[in-house]
Amino acid sequence: MALTGKPGAGLGVGPDDATAVGSDAPGNLPAALTLSQNAVSEPIVVGNSLWQSSDPLAYQGGLEPDVTHLREVEASGIARRDDARWSGVLEVIPTKADYVLDLIRANSLWPLLSGLACCAMEMMSSATSRNDMDRWGMFPFRASPRQADVLIVAGTLTTKMAGPLVRLWEQMPEPKWCVAMGDCTCSGGRYKRSYATIEGIDRVMPVDVYVPGCPPRPEGLIYGMMKLQQLVKDRRGHWPDRAVGPTVPEDV
Amino acid sequence: MTATPHVHPPQEVPSDDPRVELDAATGAFEPIPPYPPRTERESEFYTLGDGEMFINMGPQHPSTHGVLRIVLKLDGENVVDLDPVLGYLHRGVEKLCENADYHHSIAYLDPLEYISSLFCEWPGVLAFEKLLDVEVPRRAEYIRVLATELNRILSHSMFIGWMALDLGGLTPILYSLIERDEIAEMLAALTGQRLLFNYLRIGGVNGDLNHEFLSRLGDWMSRATTQIESNLTLLNENEIFVRRMRGLGTLDKETAFRMAVTGPNLRASGVPLDFRRAHPYSVFPELEFDIPTRDEGDCLARYLVRIDEIKQSLRIIDQCLENMPDGPIMAKLPRLLRPRPGRAYAAVEGPRGQYSAYVISDGTDQPFRMRIHDPSFVHLQSVGVLMPGHLIADAMAVMASLDPIMGGVDK
Repeated sequence: MALTGKPGAGLGVGPDDATAVGSDAPGNLPAALTLSQNAVSEPIVVGNSLWQSSDPLAYQGGLEPDVTHLREVEASGIARRDDARWSGVLEVIPTKADYVLDLIRANSLWPLLSGLACCAMEMMSSATSRNDMDRWGMFPFRASPRQADVLIVAGTLTTKMAGPLVRLWEQMPEPKWCVAMGDCTCSGGRYKRSYATIEGIDRVMPVDVYVPGCPPRPEGLIYGMMKLQQLVKDRRGHWPDRAVGPTVPEDV
Repeated sequence: MTATPHVHPPQEVPSDDPRVELDAATGAFEPIPPYPPRTERESEFYTLGDGEMFINMGPQHPSTHGVLRIVLKLDGENVVDLDPVLGYLHRGVEKLCENADYHHSIAYLDPLEYISSLFCEWPGVLAFEKLLDVEVPRRAEYIRVLATELNRILSHSMFIGWMALDLGGLTPILYSLIERDEIAEMLAALTGQRLLFNYLRIGGVNGDLNHEFLSRLGDWMSRATTQIESNLTLLNENEIFVRRMRGLGTLDKETAFRMAVTGPNLRASGVPLDFRRAHPYSVFPELEFDIPTRDEGDCLARYLVRIDEIKQSLRIIDQCLENMPDGPIMAKLPRLLRPRPGRAYAAVEGPRGQYSAYVISDGTDQPFRMRIHDPSFVHLQSVGVLMPGHLIADAMAVMASLDPIMGGVDK
């Protein structure tokens, strides 16, 4: 959107007398508060055709939120003409911030760079040239848990590593998701009978997506991450309801 | 960290709320162990001198090649001393092998070093074959050599990428993973798996050469040399890389022997020891290849030796394809193996050094004892000799040049 020139000029919907005056200038009514004859009188309602949650209870069951300023704003006419941003056409977007935030979250999943064992090789492979996870917005592998959204547990989790891994999971800020990659993290896999491993990481932390395979191919991990994207959009993670905090037993 | 007690009112938070525990320090990443020093070395190391401090590296750290924790004692930016803490990937492989029958224990061997899986299987399989007095068909031996040399190229190309990554360059690993993925797909056509091949069997191999593998291999071999060399110009002609690697982490011949270093790390110190020539196994006496060595013993030499080994591996693959005999790929063996009581030892030359296995049989269908020797574990001890005196950033380069894989270290 061009910021130079008269707002709305050339777009055919703005008022002719609109001037680019700051709304805080004394004596000047902000441009957004002046009503125009050319403005669209009814708000254009854009249906949510982007996704639908498979969980009927997600997003408060599709009900209208109790507390919203949408109707008041609509009645006051303040948001009718925000020419600079919406060209006067889209006056009110009847959506919820959660929808938009979930769309943003799902398309920018930042995994944590924490490979434990063999599966880390396939995780690296899925992040680099041949199978480029970045195409779906799953790329920047962060070395710090503070900057990561997704913990891809790639490899065998041993009892000694369980404490540090749960610590990493706790250090990640909410909302966060966990992908169990490989048989070892799903169920114990080929090390199920070992004295030193944890038989599935869901014994110590919540898991959103299981990707079986020993190891799964990079396509498998990408498929799992796409499932996670759908899950984020579906709001099936319900992260406020999830148990946070250490779930490791004391003797681990 | 001062201990400020967080008191939760019991009427607000129920006692079984897991969130209460969040404020309790678990101590997982405290550099100083919670117990009093057990040895003289520990009490000496965990006593700070003037101006020194501890830094805890790992167990989650991108340049430790896995889950290794190193407690670094630093003076400013110089590494004074270090204490590696192992066991974060200890999976109890040896014990699992002792509770599985001979065929089954091969599956436990190959996740040891997950970028050179075939080399982890091979000494175990060789030792079992020695116990059983099996003669492996010649075609199977050639297929083994062919597959393992491909695996060696895979491992070395990953080394090149990691080496550059630990020095701060992100681009070369993209190129080396292109190579790695091509070879992995090729071996997946042969073995059915991209990473943990589980291909060698007692008395042969799992499957014969197939059309997809051979067409992929021929396609790749026709451009492998030029492709690898063009990838390497990224690093070999990089002034910063070469100058930084030269003279870094020099390992002289005597120290290398004392630290039991084998493989390319030893050959970079000027010792032409290669188990394919020193203790020949399989069909290596029939194959022509050189043993590349360097005299410098620094990180650059260890890097260049591996590049030369890639070229030698290409030579071996060429000869294997040329001399590939016809015949069976498996020896005739009963399903249930009960070798005679006894002991067997076998060693192979892998991309990191000597991989070996020592098996004791008591006449049952399970190994009585299975000892796995892995070069990563042995090479990690020379980190304690090489790292002190370097800057932190260079210390990581030293560790990367030794190329340890934590799966093999912790078993």
